[in-house]
Amino acid sequence: MIKLINISKKYDNLILLKDFNIDFEKNKITCLFGPSGVGKTTIANIVAGIVPVDEGRVVGIDNSLFSYVFQEPRLLKWYNVYENIDFVLKDVYKPDKRAEIINSYLEMVELSEYRNYKIDALSGGMAQRVSLARAFAYPSHILILDEPFKGLDNKLKGEMSSLFLKMWNLSQRTVIFITHDVEEAVDLSHIIYTLKDRPVNIIDRLIVKNYANNKEEIKNLLLNH
Amino acid sequence: MMNSILRNKNKLLIILFWIFVWEILSLIIAQEIYLPSPHAAFSSLMNLLISKDTYITIYYSTYRTLTGFFLSCVFGIFLGIISGIHKTVYNLLNPLIVIIRTIPVMSIIIIAIMWFKDTNVPIFVAFLMCFPIIWTNTVSGILSTDVKLLQMCEVYKIKKSRIISSVYFYSSLTYIKAGMISALGIGWKVTSAAEVLSLPKYSIGRFLYDSKVYLEIPDLFAWTIIIVSLSFLFESLLKTIFKFGDKYD
Repeated sequence: MIKLINISKKYDNLILLKDFNIDFEKNKITCLFGPSGVGKTTIANIVAGIVPVDEGRVVGIDNSLFSYVFQEPRLLKWYNVYENIDFVLKDVYKPDKRAEIINSYLEMVELSEYRNYKIDALSGGMAQRVSLARAFAYPSHILILDEPFKGLDNKLKGEMSSLFLKMWNLSQRTVIFITHDVEEAVDLSHIIYTLKDRPVNIIDRLIVKNYANNKEEIKNLLLNH
Repeated sequence: MMNSILRNKNKLLIILFWIFVWEILSLIIAQEIYLPSPHAAFSSLMNLLISKDTYITIYYSTYRTLTGFFLSCVFGIFLGIISGIHKTVYNLLNPLIVIIRTIPVMSIIIIAIMWFKDTNVPIFVAFLMCFPIIWTNTVSGILSTDVKLLQMCEVYKIKKSRIISSVYFYSSLTYIKAGMISALGIGWKVTSAAEVLSLPKYSIGRFLYDSKVYLEIPDLFAWTIIIVSLSFLFESLLKTIFKFGDKYD
């Protein structure tokens, strides 16, 4: 279990988190659901260690490796698809192993034919698929997805969601999934935290499987918060 | 193809127009010592181009310019990258760069004459004049690196050396290339100026100086045409190398 204990964080005079506590279950997809600007990304970044806290502590992440699917693909446009994934794997695996891993993930995201394409030559959806393949190819223990399907049309969102679940089922990593899209939250997560207010509060903690027979109910709950 | 022919035709017409203006002015002034006619200048140029010494001179001046330029690229890019990443190094080097930028070229040349032997003076001066341009451009390039990419590197625990070679370097490449093109042009100018004062045996500057002493003004113009042509040629060569690099990257 990853635990954020009594975390406080402020930016200038803006208090985003005050004595904030939250748990993330290992090998489960936990969704941080809430409006833009509430502090979802900050919470995820605190877990990933890229945002320092003012007070409090994070436990359960010792020696953990992280991978991240950001809102925008964050790929190196001077490298091709293959090199972009290779870039994050270089310090972790030997070349032969890297080639094997990259090829298998490129196949999974259906981009094998595009392995030598520069990033600028890809569509937004394709670039985000590379970002997803990169995140799964990296041997992370914790995967953070920060609104990864934002800006994609509904068809692409659907494709990306299935791809994500397909890849997650293979390695079942701990996932922190940030979204303010009800459908995405319900379709992809095991646990959903609803966040609100400033400093941020947890309004609700929903276990999705409890609503397996009535998804509309959980959606209504999320929409009504 | 057709467009390129038309463009070249236009360029040629523009050059011819200015040669015509030059001719008219020289006719009005009518004193070769002030302004030789294009005909006199081009005759001198033809005479120079059939002499072996001219090519030896061009070789040595080119060697000096390119050596100064090359050194400024190596140091400018290396120190520029470090300065862009580490604020302390930037704060340490910036006053020095500002001083180098503001010191008149002539003062630097005279100081260099005291320090080095004649042939190395132009190299040092070219280096000192080109270095700040390349350093400044490299620093700007590094600072323009997308913070989001750096954050991605942090998450994936990428080694610092690879962040420098794969992220910072490529992010600043456009700036570095632009800096190198401006620096090369300046390199030619200051090398010639330094040669005029330091007078190495084979140097365009020595011939410029001689044409002043012996009042061979058409020769002065002819050597100037050679410098401008060399500068233009090497700038085009550098741009072609960059284009080739982009295409096959």
